Amino acid sequence: MIELKRNELVFSFPEVHEEANMHVHFQRTLRIPDDDGTYPLPAGLGKFPVRHVDDYSDDVPDDWMQHGGVMLPMYQSEALWLNFSGSGQYPFALKVAAGKIDAVTGHSWSNGLNRGPQDYVVVPEQPWLDGYCVKKGIIRQFVAMPLGSGYSVEEQVTGEAEFGGIQVIAYPMRREIYEERFRHQPDMIMSPGTLFGAPAAVQSRVTGEFSMGLGAGGCMKQQIYNDPYDFSDWDVEHSSRCFVHIANSLAWRAITGDTPPTTPLTAREYKKHGIPWFDYYSEGDTAVPGSGVLGKIKSIARRGKEKGDVPLPENEPIQPKRVVKLRRNLRRGQVREGSF
Amino acid sequence: MTSFGDYIRASREALKQSDTTFSVRQVAMRIGVEPSFLSKVERNEVAPPSEEKVVSLARELSEDPDVLLAMAGKVSSDLKAAIMKRPELFASLIRELKDLPDRAVLRLVREVRDGKW
Repeated sequence: MIELKRNELVFSFPEVHEEANMHVHFQRTLRIPDDDGTYPLPAGLGKFPVRHVDDYSDDVPDDWMQHGGVMLPMYQSEALWLNFSGSGQYPFALKVAAGKIDAVTGHSWSNGLNRGPQDYVVVPEQPWLDGYCVKKGIIRQFVAMPLGSGYSVEEQVTGEAEFGGIQVIAYPMRREIYEERFRHQPDMIMSPGTLFGAPAAVQSRVTGEFSMGLGAGGCMKQQIYNDPYDFSDWDVEHSSRCFVHIANSLAWRAITGDTPPTTPLTAREYKKHGIPWFDYYSEGDTAVPGSGVLGKIKSIARRGKEKGDVPLPENEPIQPKRVVKLRRNLRRGQVREGSF
Repeated sequence: MTSFGDYIRASREALKQSDTTFSVRQVAMRIGVEPSFLSKVERNEVAPPSEEKVVSLARELSEDPDVLLAMAGKVSSDLKAAIMKRPELFASLIRELKDLPDRAVLRLVREVRDGKW
């Protein structure tokens, strides 16, 4: 079951275990430069607002109603990351795709779990996901671009601009495995941390042109951790999935009547406000290798050069000055969204 | 049933035990009313203040605004607007639920719908 509470997708499986709960939300963040550099993790700048598409049935595209799910607003060339660190300790296998292209493997969406290669992340071991896994320990940032413009990874891989958005499906750990592995350990419920207050950013029946997909932005150091459990530990009989549509800012206003959050911070503003970067490391954990498919995709800047476009404004290199080192298992998940 | 005045007084006094900034005078100043008025509210000598002031008071006292509003005999304007938009629907819903035990009401959830994709 998935509920939408305070802009978070709350997955729960009471039929499996009363503690089988997981929270996923979508964080606004700095778009890192799409250049030859590899950057540390930028901070979270607040949750994206999320709404049920059903609440706007008269105003969203027909295919959104067919998909069900939810929607959130993004400006063109804005970045986001998925946060899982507000969850408890109950393990989940979570698949994340953009435009129905798996963000870990680059394979087309399927509802089941796969290993060899692993096409999911394990929560809470994985506290967040910032982009597509292009190399071991490196992701390319999720950056919103208009669906149909040729920039999304979906369009590069499939040749079609059909879905856009983000898709997730979660599988809990089997009850008996959880009880055996964790029953005697204290609960490590994480607070999602506080939000940084970033400075301040139609007609009915909006068409599909207002749908956004996710392209591949700049490179960031981020590991996708290998599943530490046995594959048989996952309860594949129980799952919940959700389609997260991305509306551009104009569409959002037309559909909901609400103003989207303020326009994204520039790198200059990020630096001016002294917002730190983060280096999250874990000792002893192994990471999935990069995806052969995703390793070949073209970043937004590179596609732009091919098309003669400048799709990413203010794409100058940054020198991150203040990098906070976060060691895994040390107050996991709190500091990256912490107060500044 | 505890009156609004008694409730907020008890709440404020409890906070004042560990934080002296929760005197009647100081709380009144922070929510923008005269201390004498707040004192009268706490003694049930005058009616509770406006929705805006009750909400401010709730924040000050770390109380749930909807609970405090209900105790003041008010409903928040956003809830009122929701009901007024579809009065028959919400009236029928509340009548159906009003006698259910807490756990049954809490089990009513709104799921995110999954469709075809």
